[in-house]
Amino acid sequence: MKKVRLGSGSAFWGDMLEPAVEVAKNGNVDYIGFDHLAELTMAQLQRMKDRDPQKGYIEDIIPWMEAILPISVPKGIKLITNAGGVNPRVAAEKVAEIAQRLGFKGLKIGVVEGDDLYPKIDQLVKDGWVFENLDNGDKDITKIQDDIVAANVYIGCEGIIDCLKDGADVVIAGRVSDTALYIGPIMYEFGWDFNDPNLDWNKMGAAVTVGHTIECAECCTRGFNRWKESKNLENIGYPIAEFYEDGTCYITKVEGTGGVVDEWSIKEQLMYEVHDPKNYIMPDGVADFTTIKLEDLGNDVVKLSNMTGKKRPDTLKVQIGYKDGFKAEGNVFLSWPDAWGKALQAAEVVRKRFEIVDLVADEVKIDFIGVNLLHGSVAPEPDPEISEVGLRVTARTRTMAEAAKVGREATHIWTVGGVGASYGAPFKPKRIISLWPTLVPRDAVEITHFIMEVE
Amino acid sequence: MAKVQLKDIAYGRSGDKGDISNIGLIATNSENYEIIKRTVTPEAVKAHFGDMIKGEVKVYPLDNLEALQIVCYEALGGGATHTLRIDVTGKAMCTALLRMYVEA
Repeated sequence: MKKVRLGSGSAFWGDMLEPAVEVAKNGNVDYIGFDHLAELTMAQLQRMKDRDPQKGYIEDIIPWMEAILPISVPKGIKLITNAGGVNPRVAAEKVAEIAQRLGFKGLKIGVVEGDDLYPKIDQLVKDGWVFENLDNGDKDITKIQDDIVAANVYIGCEGIIDCLKDGADVVIAGRVSDTALYIGPIMYEFGWDFNDPNLDWNKMGAAVTVGHTIECAECCTRGFNRWKESKNLENIGYPIAEFYEDGTCYITKVEGTGGVVDEWSIKEQLMYEVHDPKNYIMPDGVADFTTIKLEDLGNDVVKLSNMTGKKRPDTLKVQIGYKDGFKAEGNVFLSWPDAWGKALQAAEVVRKRFEIVDLVADEVKIDFIGVNLLHGSVAPEPDPEISEVGLRVTARTRTMAEAAKVGREATHIWTVGGVGASYGAPFKPKRIISLWPTLVPRDAVEITHFIMEVE
Repeated sequence: MAKVQLKDIAYGRSGDKGDISNIGLIATNSENYEIIKRTVTPEAVKAHFGDMIKGEVKVYPLDNLEALQIVCYEALGGGATHTLRIDVTGKAMCTALLRMYVEA
């Protein structure tokens, strides 16, 4: 039976390079997918591009391609990446320069564009499309319309397939969905086509499920909960999926690498960032996770079968980033004896100081580091003999001037915090880019591609 | 009936989409799956988290994986880029849930 071997090469901007090199060298893979984008990344990249039109892509792509192309090109491994960010064209030019320097004349770099909805937002609003906020149901986007800095659609794998059909060795996209990095090669290899009325949506569900399983790279092989049993993490192996034409798949990793592929590591990833498990909606299809048969075959191999799905949706998700005030933060640390008592007193002082200086804030939050920073109100009271407690003072404000007050007042605890109060340099206030997750009709999005050939 | 803490019968893994926190709760065996399926209800989760979850909670069972998908709305202080929480993506929401005691 026909099969394709897909390796994962990155989970986020700043991930480890060496495990990706290992997948290229010893993974016996046909394709490697690289995900570098998180929900906020596109807005950050757009701001970089606004300052310099030659920026706005993930600059990690340079060292990564320098390290991986010399391995992937001779082996014929194709690389699919979303490192193009908001500027895939410029990213492709950079990769072409690297390939030329390495002597890969004739190498074909595919570029996928069309995910940038920013120029079309105003027109779509005028035409009557309601960009309802998926988080809270807010239907009135006009209140933030002037503050929008970026709007990117999570597009599917069509552009990736088109590049592969045109012979691309490397495909550089922007905001394609993470799963599309893997669904594209699967559909291309098996000749699956969205225009085919008989396209098997259960098999597409399998492709979506497998894309989801490996797109987060080491999250699939870490074994988070059995953290003690999972070893050699400094050399963690990124996951590899061997996907068969009948929709069955084996998940594994390169022998001898760290981490683990077992029932638990795969279940953790299957449950990760999913809402209704019967309807895991991706631009290329809807997966149903409640039918999957998972078999742990031992030796870092897990078999996934009986995966099912439904037709892809008529709308696509859009992430709109908009300027939304400022965030300020200041920290101070209180030591034994009576660290907890001193921390509570310090928090009280800060709150009263905010009143004295008339702080205008949308929200003020004071957390106690070492006590409830992570678990909030679920955390129990601390041990009275606790050795140290940190005070983390944060606030959201409308203006930079108000934000500056927060850091300034937090520093006053340095001197009025009680004996042993310790501190570092205060943080600079930061601009907040908030996100407005919403939908757009599929027909309003035009995905295009072209090939850049290395000279 | 004896009380049992979720950390002793299940694994967790949580993530974010905007202001929505999702917590995967994975039973460590079939018997434990029956316990979490019976006791980890939307009401129980909401009560456990108190003011950390402002919106509703939905619980979806996955019998095939012996796991529950728990979706908590308005649970991340406005979402990763907006929130004042240090754990902007709610990665520790799952371990906070594992503190919960349920009837065995």
